[in-house]
Amino acid sequence: MKVRLNYWMLTALMAAAFVPAAAVGQGRAPKPPEGPAPKLNGHPDLSGLWQRPYVPDMTVTTRNGDQQADASLPERKVNADMQKKGPPGPPPKELPFTAAGKRVWEAYDPAKGDYTGSCLPFGLIRSMNSPDPIQIIQNDKYVALLYEQNTWFKVIPTDGRKHRDIEPTWFGDSVGHWDGDTLVVDTINFNGKTRLDTIGHPHSDKLHVVERFTRTDLGHIAYEIQIDDPVYYSKPWKNTRTFTLRPDWEIMEYSCEENNKDFLEHHITGGLNPDK
Amino acid sequence: MRAKLNLLAAGFGLLISATPLLAHHSFAAEFDDKQPVTLKGTVTKIDWMNPHIWIYIAAKDESGKVTQWQCEGGPPNSLTRNGWTKNALKEGDQVTIEGFRAKDATNTCDSRAVKLPDGRKVFSGTADDGGPKAAGAAQK
Repeated sequence: MKVRLNYWMLTALMAAAFVPAAAVGQGRAPKPPEGPAPKLNGHPDLSGLWQRPYVPDMTVTTRNGDQQADASLPERKVNADMQKKGPPGPPPKELPFTAAGKRVWEAYDPAKGDYTGSCLPFGLIRSMNSPDPIQIIQNDKYVALLYEQNTWFKVIPTDGRKHRDIEPTWFGDSVGHWDGDTLVVDTINFNGKTRLDTIGHPHSDKLHVVERFTRTDLGHIAYEIQIDDPVYYSKPWKNTRTFTLRPDWEIMEYSCEENNKDFLEHHITGGLNPDK
Repeated sequence: MRAKLNLLAAGFGLLISATPLLAHHSFAAEFDDKQPVTLKGTVTKIDWMNPHIWIYIAAKDESGKVTQWQCEGGPPNSLTRNGWTKNALKEGDQVTIEGFRAKDATNTCDSRAVKLPDGRKVFSGTADDGGPKAAGAAQK
């Protein structure tokens, strides 16, 4: 029986592989400045440089609550021994896989290579999960998300237009509208070549994502993402996060391609997933 | 500098604070957690580029034999924000690198700790122990 790299093994591996990267990671954001959310043309202004929790697994809730899995999902069954060795915090959740979703999920083995290994675009959801900050720049027609991870961007029109009729893309096609003080972003038309998170939860090209951005105060955005993919999941499920303002940071360039030795020297592979 | 993380207790904490060890590739795809290595030698080069810095070391074993190794470190942007620069290590510096060997039997490692002869760690945590001002401190 093939041993699939599951969440618990992954955590054990990471604990064993204590690299300097772990200690120099984003860590907990310091307390941001206080005050009400600024406004722009009658809506909260989401603009700013935002630190976000790194979410390698969307079924997990972190102890400090900066990332929360869907409370309505059942807990993942793990045996007592794995429970003891597992990370502190609430147990991870079981996703509502369809038969196809379970098959694709169980076939995934990151040790055999992942598309991101060759610096292919992470895609929308994995870019929202990445540890690097994002800069949001908002005007009265668009909200632009600048992802430091691999220097990508997403531009969300907020003028009420409908989705475009174009070929599918890595990040999908997004339109946004204001629901009170919350920006609701609706994204479809994904090319299906990406994964939802580092641990490899799958999605198809029928994925429909709804994100909600609420700047609760000057220093925080409450973020919710809903995954609705009827091919791989029998019902929609969610994830919530807190982003923290970092007025002391500026966005930096990140060329994944400039020295990707792991891939260029064939220590890893990084083509598109064969199991799609 | 006090130890930042307790490995035994912080498996999950590492997930929270870990930079993209797994963001773009799997540790298990490249490195072998059953092959720890300790390399003592001289820095020959630092690559300060994305997605990971690389430290090149002329490692000397007990018999005096020198082997060239390359060891992967953290992402440069995070290191910069924590106050590090490539000048923390210079060609000719003596270091000890603890890490895990690549599965493909090349002299490649994933560096777990990089230590100067006096025991101080570089590229770990912040650089507020005599290095550049920690980038996390508010500047405005």
